[in-house]
Amino acid sequence: MSKAIEVNNLKKSFGELQAVQGVSFSAEAGEVLSLLGPNGAGKSTTISMLSGLLTPSEGDASIMGHSISREPLLAKAALGVVPQDIALYPDLSARENLDFWGKMYGLRGGALKIRVDEVLEIIGLSDRQKDKVSTFSGGMKRRVNIGAALLHKPKVIIMDEPTVGIDPQSRRHILENVKQLNAQGMTVLYTTHYMEEAAELSNHIAIMDMGKVIAYGTHDELIRMVGEQTRIEVTLNMEAEKVLSSWRSTEGVSKIDSLDGKVTALVDDSNRVLPRLFEAASKHGVRITSVDIQEPNLETVFLHLTGRALRD
Amino acid sequence: MRILDIALKDLSQIFRDKRILLFLVAMPIVFTLFMGFAYKSGKNNDAAKDNRIPLGWVNNDANGLVSRQLFEMLSDSDSLRLVELTPNAVDESVRKGEVAGALIVPLGYSEQLSAGREAQLTLVADLNSAQGQSIFQSLRTPVTQLMSAVEIARLSAETLGKPNDASELNETFASASQSWSASDSASLVKVELAVKDNFLGDWYGDNPYNQASPGILVQFAIMSLVTSGQILVQERKSRTLQRMMSTSLRPWEIIAGHTLAMFGVVFFQIALLVVFGQLVVGVDYMNAPLGTLLISVALSLWVAAMGLLIGTLVKDDSQVVLFALLAMFILSALGGTWFPLEVSSGAFATIGKLMPSAWAMNGYQNILIRGLGLESVWLPTLALLAYALGFFVLAVWRFRKMDV
Ligand SMILES: Nc1ncnc2c1ncn2[C@@H]1O[C@H](COP(=O)(O)OP(=O)(O)O)[C@@H](O)[C@H]1O
Ligand SMILES: [Mg+2]
Repeated sequence: MSKAIEVNNLKKSFGELQAVQGVSFSAEAGEVLSLLGPNGAGKSTTISMLSGLLTPSEGDASIMGHSISREPLLAKAALGVVPQDIALYPDLSARENLDFWGKMYGLRGGALKIRVDEVLEIIGLSDRQKDKVSTFSGGMKRRVNIGAALLHKPKVIIMDEPTVGIDPQSRRHILENVKQLNAQGMTVLYTTHYMEEAAELSNHIAIMDMGKVIAYGTHDELIRMVGEQTRIEVTLNMEAEKVLSSWRSTEGVSKIDSLDGKVTALVDDSNRVLPRLFEAASKHGVRITSVDIQEPNLETVFLHLTGRALRD
Repeated sequence: MRILDIALKDLSQIFRDKRILLFLVAMPIVFTLFMGFAYKSGKNNDAAKDNRIPLGWVNNDANGLVSRQLFEMLSDSDSLRLVELTPNAVDESVRKGEVAGALIVPLGYSEQLSAGREAQLTLVADLNSAQGQSIFQSLRTPVTQLMSAVEIARLSAETLGKPNDASELNETFASASQSWSASDSASLVKVELAVKDNFLGDWYGDNPYNQASPGILVQFAIMSLVTSGQILVQERKSRTLQRMMSTSLRPWEIIAGHTLAMFGVVFFQIALLVVFGQLVVGVDYMNAPLGTLLISVALSLWVAAMGLLIGTLVKDDSQVVLFALLAMFILSALGGTWFPLEVSSGAFATIGKLMPSAWAMNGYQNILIRGLGLESVWLPTLALLAYALGFFVLAVWRFRKMDV
């Protein structure tokens, strides 16, 4: 049995910029695979190539065994794509949008009507189906955006950051939708820069940074990569580059990154290292106003691998 | 089938905003009335200045007494205005409608008459036209008068036995030409049929709307390039183009769907303007209904396809408007929608005739002004369809290369 998604050394350059630099991964049928990475990592570019919007500069990929370069129409027919940006007609109603996209996927007549009703049910917008999409909240638009990719019951669905910038309720709804679709047997490729989402949904996670997959595995496998290290988040009462540089050379500190006065550090043993950090700070007349010791998570993994925090 | 679905979706979006009807229908109707009125009043103004019919005057008998006398008589005419021409310029001037006809005085005319021999003037004119008839009638009296005078003078001179004394003859001739004879002298003027482009001089036939109606129709059809060009821009902006590309639709199907929608819009507009032209301002599109239909279909397809091509070339709406307006001005001006190409000449007319807009005008005017039938629109229709196909192929080609 071939993989549901197979990506082989995909590359894409925009002029000088190598946005995707030889990405490979695969997803088994029926699993959720997350692409986790910060903005600009190359997630959307990878997905655009998978969905036939961009021609790869190099490499190939297949959906349900159909090569995107040699059998693009078959690959596309097996695929539902939820683009990162809302891709709907704002002047048409939710139902009109779904009707239209259903037709584009080859549905007609009674079958189309039934499926549109089902999808409206899934995305929880049956009661607002007659309203123009332009009158919807961000979260509702996102749900219609997902619904439009489900109409033809694709074997594989790709969702590109479907929860960015929406209310918690809609976000919850969408995450539940993903689990539900997956439970029905759909293979899901889910991209996000929220590590909690990747952790919650995925069977496997591929971490992307600067156009490359830098780690791949199950959630637990990835966590084990950081070993015994702990991630701590420290807030200072002022920006102090001197403090950071002395921390960097402190024994037991392996990585340090700072953003907006919040410092993230990866340390071997927080019980032994923290007092040293307090000491170094007070030497420079800087106070630590909060400390947060975190269980190792995907954020820790990213910091471990790149020396940078995974920020949104 | 999906092509039709795309087209129907586009149409429902386009006609959702009813203001489009203002642009599509109300504006061209107002402009048609305005232009027709302008052509009509322009014609009246000219007429007020000089009502007389322009008649070419070619004198091959430069020093002749009789011809000089004739010239003076005709110059005083209330109905004719003489325009002196060289013999070579006659055909061209008549054809262009600068003169309604030409009167040619043969070499040695005065001498022949003085010698009592027959001599004929030649009138180049179309006696089947109203103007040709007027000229002929207007010439009858003065020519007959003149001939009578010449005859009297000749006879007088002969009687006096001095046939060769020119001054004597002249005197008699001058006094005799005051008198009048009613003898029938139709044979004194030989008539040659003038070759004249039918609608020149009065290029819109008897109805100024024959130019205004199809002119505005074609011009506003071209204006739909804006709407057509904006379709892809809008689809790109709403990201729906990306979604479409991620379905199993082929690029040409996407372009075909949108082209079909714009074809519908332009054809709808043309149909309403044809009905308006026919029923309100008396332009006879129904002279060849099938011909009108063919030209209208081909014109609509061409505009739709060209608009789609523009959509693949531009970045945003403002560029669409820029491209479309530029195309519209060039195509309208060169294509003869504002004034007929036949009144211009040279490179302008030559290039203009190749424009798709000129083919459309040509097709309509074959029906409206030249009164021709279905067979006269085959060529314009095929030319427009060729343009439509060309633009469609280019649009698909560009679309495939486009970063969506
Ligand atoms: N069409 C494009 N032209 C030029 N650069 C692009 C284009 N699309 C993306 N990029 C660049 O490629 C890199 C990866 O972008 P993207 O794939 O959108 O990342 P992500 O989805 O992970 O945030 C970024 O640096 C982005 O600016
Ligand atoms: Mg992205």
